[in-house]
Amino acid sequence: MQQTEHNHSTIETFRAMGIDPVAAVLASTRTLLRQPQQEQEAVRFLLLQDSFRYHYETNRVYREIAQERGVHPDQIRNFEDLLRIPSIPIKSFKDVNSHKLLSLPLQELEHELRSTGTSGIPSISRRDSITVDRSVVGIYAMLRDMFGLFGGAGLFLSPSAEDMPEMGLVKLISMFSGLLDTTSYFIHHSTFNPQDAIEQLTKWENQHTRHIIGPPFVIDRLVKYMAENGITVQLDRNTKVITLGGWKRHTGREIDAAEFRAACAAAFGIGEGQVRDMFGLVETNFMAIECEHHRKHVPPAVHFSVRSLEELDREVAVGEPGLLHVMDPACRSYPGFIQTEDIVYLSDGACECGRHGQVVHYMYRARGAEIGCCAINLEKHMEDKENSWSSCSINGR
Amino acid sequence: MYNEIVARHFMDPMNVGELASPDETVRIGNAVCGDTIIMHLALEDGRITDVKYRAYGCAVSIATASIASEYFTGKELKELSGRSNAELAALLGELEPNQKHCIDIMLELRERACASVQGVNG
Repeated sequence: MQQTEHNHSTIETFRAMGIDPVAAVLASTRTLLRQPQQEQEAVRFLLLQDSFRYHYETNRVYREIAQERGVHPDQIRNFEDLLRIPSIPIKSFKDVNSHKLLSLPLQELEHELRSTGTSGIPSISRRDSITVDRSVVGIYAMLRDMFGLFGGAGLFLSPSAEDMPEMGLVKLISMFSGLLDTTSYFIHHSTFNPQDAIEQLTKWENQHTRHIIGPPFVIDRLVKYMAENGITVQLDRNTKVITLGGWKRHTGREIDAAEFRAACAAAFGIGEGQVRDMFGLVETNFMAIECEHHRKHVPPAVHFSVRSLEELDREVAVGEPGLLHVMDPACRSYPGFIQTEDIVYLSDGACECGRHGQVVHYMYRARGAEIGCCAINLEKHMEDKENSWSSCSINGR
Repeated sequence: MYNEIVARHFMDPMNVGELASPDETVRIGNAVCGDTIIMHLALEDGRITDVKYRAYGCAVSIATASIASEYFTGKELKELSGRSNAELAALLGELEPNQKHCIDIMLELRERACASVQGVNG
C-alpha cells in the first residue's frame, strides 16, 4: 500500500471539487463497513496520512513533538507507517495547558464537549465547525447503519442536554432525537424514578416502536426495579436497548454485560441481540457500536492501534490485549491521534452480520488511570443526592 | 463565538501557577460540569500583591481566571469589593448566552477573595 501520487491526488481531487474527503468517507460508512478490511484500510490510510500532515503543518506544539520523535509527514508512506505518528496522551485534555493542543485559534472553534470523572477535573475537547460537521455525519452514519433508526420513541434514561449541556454522554443521547419521532428524558435534577419510565413505555405501546437509551447503571436500576416489583413490559419486535457510558460503577464494581443483556431480554420480552452497547470517547468523533452478535464495529475511517504496555511503539497482535491508541481523521481543531487509558483487544475479519473491519473488545482501564466518564460522575452525583435525602431527618418537614 | 478578550486570555493565559505560601486560597467549582479554579492570593496590608491560579474547564472559565488574576493584582481588597458587578462583568467582554455563567465565576472569585471585607457592592 505504498503512497503514490495517485493516492495523494485522490484527496486533492475531492477538495478541488469542494468535497471534504473525510466527511465523504464518513457518509459512506455503510458501504465501507461491508468492504474487505484491506480496502477499508486503504481509504483510512489516505485520510490519516493527510490528517497527520495537516496537524504537523498547523500545530506548533504537535510539530515539535513529531520532530522530537524524528517523524515527518513525508515518512508516512504506507499503512504500517501510521504506527510512527505521535499520539497525544488523553490526560492532556484535562491539563491546564490544554489550549496548546489546538491546531486552530479559539475564534475558529464553535463547541466544547466535556467528560468528568471521579477527580472532578473535566476533559474538554474543542471543535471547529468542520470537525462538528464530520462528527455529526460520522456518528449518524454509524447509528443509521447499526440500528436502522428513523422513527419510534426513545426513552432516554439520562439528564437532558438542557440540564447538563456540554456533557458528552448527554450530547450523544440527545443526537438520537433526530432519528426518532418522540423522546422523553427520565433523569431530572439527578433523580431517576423507574415507575415514571415504565408508565411512559406503557403510554407509547401500540403507537411507537419503543427504544431505551442510557448508561448501563440506569437501565440496570430500571430492570432491577421491575424484577423486585414483578413487572415485565413487552417491548417491540424492533426495539433496541442501547447502552453507552461504560460498565464500571463509581464504586469500582462492574456491571456484567452478559448478565445485563439477559436481564434486559427477560424484563422487556426481547432478544439479547436487541440489547447493544456503544463505545466512544469525548475526545474523538466516533462511536464503535455492537451489532446483533455483540461485536463492536469500529467505523472504517477510524483506526484503532493497540499497543504493547511495555513498548508503546509496538502494536500487539489481533486478539492480544494492549493500550488503545485512536487515530481519528475527523479531528481538525486538534490532532486526533490519541493515546487512551483503555485496555482493549481487537478482532477483525468478516462478522456474521456482514460487516468487516476492526472489532473492539473493551477490557478495563489502564492501571493508574482515573476511573472516569460522564456516567460514573452522573451515578455518583445521583447517589450523593439520594444519600443526602436518606440521611435527612423528617422532623420539622 | 469567542470574543477577542476571551480568546486572548485563553490562548495566552496570565499568571498561571501556584504561590509557594499563599495568604488566601480560593477554590470554586461546579461538581457537575467540573469547571474548577484554584486561586492563590498574596496579601500585604489589605492589598493583593500577587495572584496565581490553576483553571480547568471551558475556554471562557479559563479566560475568566486569567482576567481576574490580572485585574485583582495590585488592588486593595476594599477597592475590589467596592467595584460593581457590572464593571467586573464588562471585563469579560460580550458573552454568548451559554458563556454567561462565567460572570458568576468572576463575581464569586471576587467575593471569595474579599471574604474578609464586609459588604460587597452589587
